[in-house]
Amino acid sequence: MSTPVLAQPASDAPVVARPTVGQRLTSFMPVIALVVLLAALTVVDPGFFTLSSLTAAVRTAAPLVVLAAGATVVVLCGGIDLSIAALCSLATVFFALWLPDLGGLTTLAIVAVAGAIGALQGVAHVLLRIPSFIVTLGGMSIFSAIALVISDAGPIPVSDRGTTHWLTLYVAGVLPMAFVVALVVVAVVSLVLRLTPVGSWVRAIGYSESAARLAGSPVDLVKVGAFTLSGACAGLAAVMLVSRNFSGSPTMADNLLLPAVAAIVVGGTAITGGHGSLWRSLAGALVVTLLRVGLPIVGVPSAYEQILYGAIIVAAVALTLDRSKVLIIK
Amino acid sequence: MTSPAEADTEVVQARRPQPRRGVSLRDAGPPIALVVVFGVFAALSPGFRTLSNVQNVLDAAAVLAVVTIGISFVLMMGSIDLSAPGIMGASAITVALLVANNRNDNDLGFVGIAVAVLLAAGLGCLSGLALVLLKVPSFMATLGVSAVGLGLATLLFAGVQPNIADPMLEGWAVERFLGLAHLTWIALGCVLLGWLVQRYSRLGRYAFAIGGAEEVLALSGVRVAPYKVAVFTLAGAFYGLAGVMVTSQLSAGLVQAGRGYDFSAITAAVVGGTLLTGGRGGILHSTVGVLLVTVLTNGLVQVGVSPYWQGGVQGLIVVAAVAAAVIPQRRRNQVTK
Repeated sequence: MSTPVLAQPASDAPVVARPTVGQRLTSFMPVIALVVLLAALTVVDPGFFTLSSLTAAVRTAAPLVVLAAGATVVVLCGGIDLSIAALCSLATVFFALWLPDLGGLTTLAIVAVAGAIGALQGVAHVLLRIPSFIVTLGGMSIFSAIALVISDAGPIPVSDRGTTHWLTLYVAGVLPMAFVVALVVVAVVSLVLRLTPVGSWVRAIGYSESAARLAGSPVDLVKVGAFTLSGACAGLAAVMLVSRNFSGSPTMADNLLLPAVAAIVVGGTAITGGHGSLWRSLAGALVVTLLRVGLPIVGVPSAYEQILYGAIIVAAVALTLDRSKVLIIK
Repeated sequence: MTSPAEADTEVVQARRPQPRRGVSLRDAGPPIALVVVFGVFAALSPGFRTLSNVQNVLDAAAVLAVVTIGISFVLMMGSIDLSAPGIMGASAITVALLVANNRNDNDLGFVGIAVAVLLAAGLGCLSGLALVLLKVPSFMATLGVSAVGLGLATLLFAGVQPNIADPMLEGWAVERFLGLAHLTWIALGCVLLGWLVQRYSRLGRYAFAIGGAEEVLALSGVRVAPYKVAVFTLAGAFYGLAGVMVTSQLSAGLVQAGRGYDFSAITAAVVGGTLLTGGRGGILHSTVGVLLVTVLTNGLVQVGVSPYWQGGVQGLIVVAAVAAAVIPQRRRNQVTK
């Protein structure tokens, strides 16, 4: 202030400082929301905050965490993947059909095939220049149709439970293995994004695709990779669902699409791309699951649960969206 | 003096037809596809080419057409609307509880329908307000409103299904005029209304302009926000009417009345040429898209394809339609989200 010559840094400082306070708060918002939600549920029903119900909650959350984690990378690239739930349902059907032939290899095969299907969507998106919304919307219908046809529109029981038994185990007696696997997926993908250039590429594509392209980032490759990861995660989530339900069904995961998108957004990942992380989606998925599991427990009728759910999604986006990056909100 | 003037007039004359020709060529795609698909099915299946089946196709298209008209206005702005299932569910239950039914003593008739449509318009307005005031992208705002609508519907449903006993509303689905159900005439009326709004009202014109270039519109002094809210409100009203129509078809109010209509309507609109980028297409385009989707659904069943494939075929078509629409601008259009 005493040196008017340095007008630039002086004017810069407040501009940078003000958002960081707000951003610090908003960046912890998913965790704050999680803690507040847990506290509120415990106050209303002290019986909720017990080891067994928390274990049950994270066990329910595992497939949602995996689905949301995969789709988060696509959202970070500025796209959207609407096909995850349908692909996951299709993968449960594949799992039930292939298990008798492939045995222990089924899990790997499912993840690989789901990843390949995701890659196919990515290639269509990149090569044909179709918006990801349309590609994955089409994919959603196509996967549902295939699942209905090959399963004859009914659930297929899985009699051999040995293959998925490991997912139903508990680490140290309390932590469900499925949730540990979900944590590992989030951790590995986050590490890869942080330690390799891929993370900066993804962020650059999300903030400004044309700038990333001009800067020489392998935009198309990264996008295909994001869709591949999203598909593979849908496959892994399918294995988790089968391990819990002992069957494959063409509509098993269909009602997970909107919760998965909600988990990403509630976590604070900008739906416009660039800003966000997988850890946020993990917190978001836990918030969404707690809402779904917790509200009926404390006696909120399901109708109000829906209304609350809708309001929370909108409020979460309103709080977390970084508007300085988006001039026109469509 | 004379030669530059001549050159000027020549330039003006030469310029004008060019964009028109381009537009007409691009716009001709979906109608041509409709005629071709219709011809193929008519040649393949004797059951398809009967008059009664054509009536069936038109009757089956009615609800989807009304939803698609609503969503077309939103898509023209370049926004997206996923609130149809929630809003339709809320209006379906509301109308079922307000006309003569087995749950209460209400017998409001036409007023009940109007209230349901108004409620739906209010929910649509909510999406618009969230978009404009809270700056929440329409994708999430409408997703939230859809959940709110479903919640409202579940609240009103209260565990007992309201079956309607109103003769007028029940008659809409059954009684026929000139071979078509009353619902189909209502849908046709909506198409006409939507087209008039799009073509001749400021709201429709601005919706188009917002999709084409919102910044330019805002810079030329137009207050964009009220029009955005109005477009979402209008779309909500159309979903509400569609919910009433579903109630008439089922003779009962169901929470799931609008299930799947959000993505079907987007598919129909996009297939017809109302692209998600905004500023393209329109009501008539979307109507052609609705007919195309319905003819395909009906034709595939008539030819003997398993109904399970229907969704898959729709998915393929929407991807193919967009891919074909984008080909002319492939080089130019480097950014695809």
